[in-house]
Formats: sequence, C-alpha cells, structure tokens
Amino acid sequence: MDIFIQLTNSPIAQNQWPPGSGLTGARAEFHGLVRGEENGAPISALEYEAYPAMAEREIRRLLEELAARHACFAITVIHRLGLVPVGEAAIFLRVTAKHRGPAFALLAEFMDRLKQDAPIWKRRAIPAATGVRLPSYGSLTNSARRAPLESREALAAIRSRCPPLPAVRIPLAEARDRVLREAVLAAEDAPACDRSTRDGYAVLQDDPAAEFVIRDTLHAADWKPRPLQPGEAVRVATGAALPCAHLRVVMLEHVEHAGDRLRILHRDDTPNVRHRGEELKAGEPLLCAGQRLTAGDLAALASAGCVRPAVNPRLRVHHFTTGDEIVPPEQPPGPGQIRDSNSILLHALLAAVPCDLTQQHLPEDMAAAMRILSRCQSQLATTDLILFSGGASVGDLDFTRPLLEWLGFEIVFDRLNLRPGAPLIFGTRGNRLAFGLPGNPLSHWVCFHLFVTAALAGLSGTETKPVLRGVLAAPLETAPHPRETWWPARLQLESGRCELTPLRWNSSGDVTVLTKSNALLRILPACGRLPAGAEVEFLPTEP
Amino acid sequence: MNSIFTPMQILFFAQLKDATGYAAIELPATAPLRGDQLWSVLLERFPALAVHRTSVRLACNQEYAGPKTLYCPGDEVALIPPVSGG
Repeated sequence: MDIFIQLTNSPIAQNQWPPGSGLTGARAEFHGLVRGEENGAPISALEYEAYPAMAEREIRRLLEELAARHACFAITVIHRLGLVPVGEAAIFLRVTAKHRGPAFALLAEFMDRLKQDAPIWKRRAIPAATGVRLPSYGSLTNSARRAPLESREALAAIRSRCPPLPAVRIPLAEARDRVLREAVLAAEDAPACDRSTRDGYAVLQDDPAAEFVIRDTLHAADWKPRPLQPGEAVRVATGAALPCAHLRVVMLEHVEHAGDRLRILHRDDTPNVRHRGEELKAGEPLLCAGQRLTAGDLAALASAGCVRPAVNPRLRVHHFTTGDEIVPPEQPPGPGQIRDSNSILLHALLAAVPCDLTQQHLPEDMAAAMRILSRCQSQLATTDLILFSGGASVGDLDFTRPLLEWLGFEIVFDRLNLRPGAPLIFGTRGNRLAFGLPGNPLSHWVCFHLFVTAALAGLSGTETKPVLRGVLAAPLETAPHPRETWWPARLQLESGRCELTPLRWNSSGDVTVLTKSNALLRILPACGRLPAGAEVEFLPTEP
Repeated sequence: MNSIFTPMQILFFAQLKDATGYAAIELPATAPLRGDQLWSVLLERFPALAVHRTSVRLACNQEYAGPKTLYCPGDEVALIPPVSGG
C-alpha cells in the first residue's frame, strides 16, 4: 500500500481527485472538522501540537498494520498543527481500494487507533469570545475577574513566578551588568605575599639598628625570597614582593645611603607593607552569587582567573504597542492622534538590562492582531517576557487580556489597588511571563519600576531593589486617596540625607513629569497631606 | 556511536511544556539510565512533573520505550503525555 503522511501548519488544500487507475473500485475521503464548541463552551479554534518525527512513524506503523488486514491501494493522511479555526479540517484521510469494504474499514479503524499512540495533542481550545470584538470587557474574558491586588501582593505573586533562567558561561568582557550566578572563591591569598607600599628599604620589623648593609635591590616584578638578618636591608620598589615575612619598609625620604651602607634618619609608625592575605584569604568568597557585575567586579574576577563566569542569559523581550491613536514620533499626529512615546520609554528603560528587545505595533482590530501574533508565534514561544503597552483598562477596545489568554497565558492578576497604573495585567505560561502595561506614560514608568523590574530581577537571579527611606524636602499637597499611590519625586542627597521633592502631576498621561522624576514616593491609602520633613518610603528610578 | 560526553536530549510536549517551562533540555549523562533513574533526575529538576508521572509514557529515539529500555547519552528522549490527535 502506498502511504503519504503530512503534518502541516497550513490549511489542508481541497485537492482534486487524481484519475482512477482502472483497478480502483472505491475511493473514500474523511475530513475531521473542528466544531464550534468544546466541553459545552463555544470556541473559535483548536490548537494542535505534535512530536512530528515520532508522530509520522507511529502513523506509518499503524497504517502498515491495518493494510495487512484491509487490502487498500493507497492512503493519504494529513494532520493540521497549530491553530485550526472552527469549520476547518484538523485531519484529512483519503483511501483507494478495489472495493468499498476495506476502504471504509481502514478509515474507521485508523481514526480509532490514531487517538491511542500518535504523539499529537489537542493543546487547548480558544474561547469563541476572543475571536471577535465584543462590546464589553466582561464578555471578552473566559474567566472571572478577581479583586484588585495590593502592590505588595502583586510583587509577591510576580516573584513567586519568576525563577531564575538557567545560567550561561560567557567571556568576562561581555559580563558587565549580568548577574553572577555562582560564588567565586579566591584561589590564592590576596596579596599572595607581603608587598611593599613604598619606595624604600625593607628591614626586620623589630631591628633597632640605625645602620644597615644593603644586600639586594627588588623591583616590582622580582621574586627573590631570602631570610634577612639583623643589620641587613633590601632596597624595594613600590609593589615589590618582600623577600620574607616580618619586615617593615622605611621610606626612601627617611634614609641616607652611600654605596651598600644605609642609615635610617626617621622611622614612621606604619610598616608600609600589604601583608599576605590581608585583603582576602584563599577560599574566601571574592564575589557572591546574585551580584550584578560592575566594572570593578570584572577586574576582581580577572585577578582570580575567572574568565568565563556563570551569569544570567540575555533576556528575550518582545514589546507590542497597541492603540490606533498612536503614530510614530517622527510623524505629526492628526486630530485625535498622539505620538508613540512608550516604545522609546521601554527601549530606554530596558537599555540597562542585558536583553534582546524586539518591538512591534498591533492594530486594535482583534482579528488582525491575532493574525500578526500567529505569524510570530514561534518567536513568542522562545520569548522570556512579553510586554503590551495599552489595551489594559476596561474600555470597549481593550484587548490585551483576551490576546494573552489566546496566546495561552494564565492571567495571575489584571487590576491593582494602586495609582497610577491600576489596570496592570500579569500572566504566565510555563516560565514565560507577560505584562499588559496601562497605556499612559506615567503608568508605564510606575509599573516598570515597581513590577517589571521585579520580574527581570527574578529571571536574572538577583534581589528586587529595596524600598528606601528619606524625608520630604517640600510638603506633599494631596487629598486623601483610597488607593496606595506611587508619587513621582525628585531625589537629592543633602548632607548625607535622601531628600525628596514631590512633583506635580495631574494625570497619568503626564509625560512632562518624567523629565524631572528620579524617584517614586510610596504614599499609603488615605494618607493625605504630608509636611516637609516627614519621613517617607521611596524607590529610586535611576541606578 | 555516541560519545559518553554527548548529553541526552529531553523533549517536553503539551502540558509538560507548561509544567517545566521548556520544550527541550540537555541532560548531562555519562552512563545509561534506567527509566526510574531518569525519572528521579527529571523530578529533582522539575518537581512539577510529579503529578504527570503516572500518565506519561517515555519514548526513546522516537519509539515508545519499554520497562527494560536503557536511556543512553546522545539519545532523544521524549515525555509523552496522553495523546489527543484527530
């Protein structure tokens, strides 16, 4: 029997029948279609997944077994993978045989047995409501909305779902700003031997003599161990390895010498020696896991010979902007339009994070957005973090949440008891994370610094930035508000104190306040006016 | 012939992809493993797999494995949750 098997992501073409050979007395065809409901709920599509190589082998094995009992000439099996919309065929079979009996029997038995062994999975059903634009938010979602979370509950929810990504080893020169994922221990004492900190003469620590014989001269790179007797001195350069332990160095300025004779004119109290192991002893930690590597850390790693440290991998981030009112910043906005400032804002905020960022605009039409997302699904499948700008609130046209659900994300929360930034969405699919950020720039700013950075820290394997304490440099003029507020402020260091000036902002659409803000004040619910000098909690937004 | 330094390739499908967060991982292996040994290595790394263990079949190099199958360095091992094609 001829066997043709295909697993495909494209719709199954309605091919014309090839002409019969003259031997063929029967040809039978079966189309298994996706129905518009699954477990009683209306759906718009099914998503299939397969282990293609093994699925093909299993299907072929099964067909060969069936062909021994049902004499047929040829069979074609085509199985769809990926998203298959309602009404389209998920599987297609075509059999030719001499008589109809074996053709029907083979089709029927194949369909029963296919569901036992072929590694193909109905991954999930796409709820019908997400496929079309509906008039209200409530009917767009397939799960009930939850009560808004407090910011600390949201942070805990985020952190518990962001385990560190597996570490990678990379060259030291590329490791700046990565998070070290292993403790690096000192391989040897630092310094490895006693070294002089001055140009001068090394003599025994407690040698009371005033006159000495100069026995040797040591430069910075010399390594000439030798015991020193009372009355003996060695000329040493700054940084030179001292010839033995228990020495002190008398500065050049405090001696006079002639030939190999030396007279000490003045002794200061310091030994002018960096002692062996004084900075770090062999086996002590040089750097700890979880540290974000600075230029100085890289120098320390180099000095310890650690040239391929284990660090967090570069994060893969995909950012979608949404909103039909958005035009690129180089384009003059028409009536009712605004320039896109969120793309560059996120691009710049993420510049400090080792990540590969791709950015893309999605049209507000749900069907068009789904087509674009389908095309980049394989890229999204390997993305660590997906960010949506806009489309997060309760308006008729908002669609981030249903799109995320359509992409298979489980929504952890979709509303916070917070301002600005209340309509924040957070979801996960396996280790992949997604945020739907409220569209206003100030909300972006707040949500990024409070929540996205916490997720980034988790994925990178480091701690979340702590909230600090400071004092108000000017009164905070505000009426009590029922929600916790993160208030943009200007942070200045004033004689060692963190002083914060609250900035004026009228709405979360206010982009001008971002030019002055370098900190966020945490204002508790119902707090109201605070006088200058009041102690406040804040989060710095600049490193 | 696979070198003993070739890692084992482990593939996760369907809900196991969500449980582990990975479609595939490489498992350093220096000796052949029995099924139960392989499971203990996997469960140590992915405790979330525990609830799936009884329903998951193992496949080795694209064939369903038997109780005596040994999983060797270089093998492509797949965790197959209950299938639902067609």
